[in-house]
Amino acid sequence: MSDNPILSVRDVRKTYGGVEVLKGVSFDLERGQSKIVIGPSGTGKSTLLRCINLLSPPDSGNVVLDGVTVEERGINQIRAQIGFVFQEFNLFTHLRVLDNVRLAQRNVLGRSKQEATRRAMEELERVGLSDKLEAYPAELSGGQKQRASIARALAMDPKLILFDEPTSALDPELTGEVVQVMKDLANAGMTMLVVSHEMGFARAAADEVIFMEGGVIVEQGPPSTLFTCPEHARTSQFLRMISHEHQEA
Amino acid sequence: MVFDTLVAEFPFLLRGLWIGIQLLAALLALGFVLGITLAVMSVYGHWSLRLFAVVFERIFRGIPEIVLLLLFFYGIGELLPLSPFVAAVLALGLRSTAYQAQIFRGSIQSVAGGEVMAARALGMSRLGAIWHIVLPQALRRSIGPWTNEYSAELKATSLAYVIGVVELTRQASYIVSNLQGNTLTVFAVVAAMYFVVNRLGNAGLYALERRLTIPGFEGRGAES
Ligand SMILES: Nc1ncnc2c1ncn2[C@@H]1O[C@H](COP(=O)(O)OP(=O)(O)O)[C@@H](O)[C@H]1O
Ligand SMILES: [Mg+2]
Repeated sequence: MSDNPILSVRDVRKTYGGVEVLKGVSFDLERGQSKIVIGPSGTGKSTLLRCINLLSPPDSGNVVLDGVTVEERGINQIRAQIGFVFQEFNLFTHLRVLDNVRLAQRNVLGRSKQEATRRAMEELERVGLSDKLEAYPAELSGGQKQRASIARALAMDPKLILFDEPTSALDPELTGEVVQVMKDLANAGMTMLVVSHEMGFARAAADEVIFMEGGVIVEQGPPSTLFTCPEHARTSQFLRMISHEHQEA
Repeated sequence: MVFDTLVAEFPFLLRGLWIGIQLLAALLALGFVLGITLAVMSVYGHWSLRLFAVVFERIFRGIPEIVLLLLFFYGIGELLPLSPFVAAVLALGLRSTAYQAQIFRGSIQSVAGGEVMAARALGMSRLGAIWHIVLPQALRRSIGPWTNEYSAELKATSLAYVIGVVELTRQASYIVSNLQGNTLTVFAVVAAMYFVVNRLGNAGLYALERRLTIPGFEGRGAES
């Protein structure tokens, strides 16, 4: 491990209505690394992602992005460096795909229209949506929506991208195109923290797997070890459960 | 002949209508700007701003238009002389603010929260997200309910005659007193004029609504 991780999460805790959802989570993410977070639903995975960019500020602990502590002061400039891809896409309904990808570039980074357009077209091409620049979100399939939202995140030139179950809202036949884009990104050296149960992505592109349960990290390790001989009984139970679900799907 | 006099008096009715339309435009514009502000305050603001919005709406929706007109013209006019027209714009405009705020609040709340979260995650400020994401969608959804407000306020402009605004209804009553009779004919013409302006305005608003419909959402709620 290098001693300057791009993201360092230290003892992050978060309580909702008296229930401690995150009970002290710590991990590092190195430049160019992809980590995948798995765990039962309600375990705090989404909360963890939202704590990283302060969409839900942690109650204690801290998050350091590239040597800078993430705090309320200057949060907008920090968020601009952290891409976020949501399960429900959250594209801007009233804007064409091109404008979805241009808006924050102009509004947050202050890029010129020309520069924002150029970057938007590059990223939309990368995710295979060059022919959908003028389409509105409601005119896209789920897979296309998610690829557009990935392009929107990429066009900000983020230091890392957080993905919260990016394929869970998709019909099974559409997950492949999104997983492929994510694999390509990981292989191109993008730093990624991905909450997902897509084993295809985990095996092909994740450097490490984090298994979370009950607000803590139970264990983490490279996919080859964690998937084949996990240390904890809970981990193997969970892995058996999701492999059953995937076979049924 | 009734018709000769009507033709002779018609320019006065048109002038009255024109004043009425100016009053309508001014009060709706005031209500639009303040109504959006109040709605944003009441959805996103500090509790003190929310409280202010609630109290403002209760007050202005709870008082009859005529009483508001008299209060503004004679009440505030005591301290700060207002022309009848300005008093009418303020009285009816602030009342319209309360109703428009209700329309805008509903449509602001109907914009998906996830889109605001996505905007914030990209680094946009709260106000930036409201301006670029929430309002463009909320305003589109407000057009339908807003047509009711347009019709109601058009009719309310006729009440401004009680404080001496020489709008259409006032002109009509002048003409009736000059003609000594023919009340029915004159007011039938006036009624037709209100009706036409109401229809034209509504048709324009529905055309705007169709024009601004976001592709992929056609036929989901846009009135034809
Ligand atoms: N904004 C919130 N307010 C209250 N409770 C919340 C909120 N967000 C999440 N929770 C609760 O925190 C727990 C963890 O949720 P979440 O992080 O979404 O889990 P996961 O993503 O692992 O399924 C759940 O019990 C959920 O109900
Ligand atoms: Mg979740």
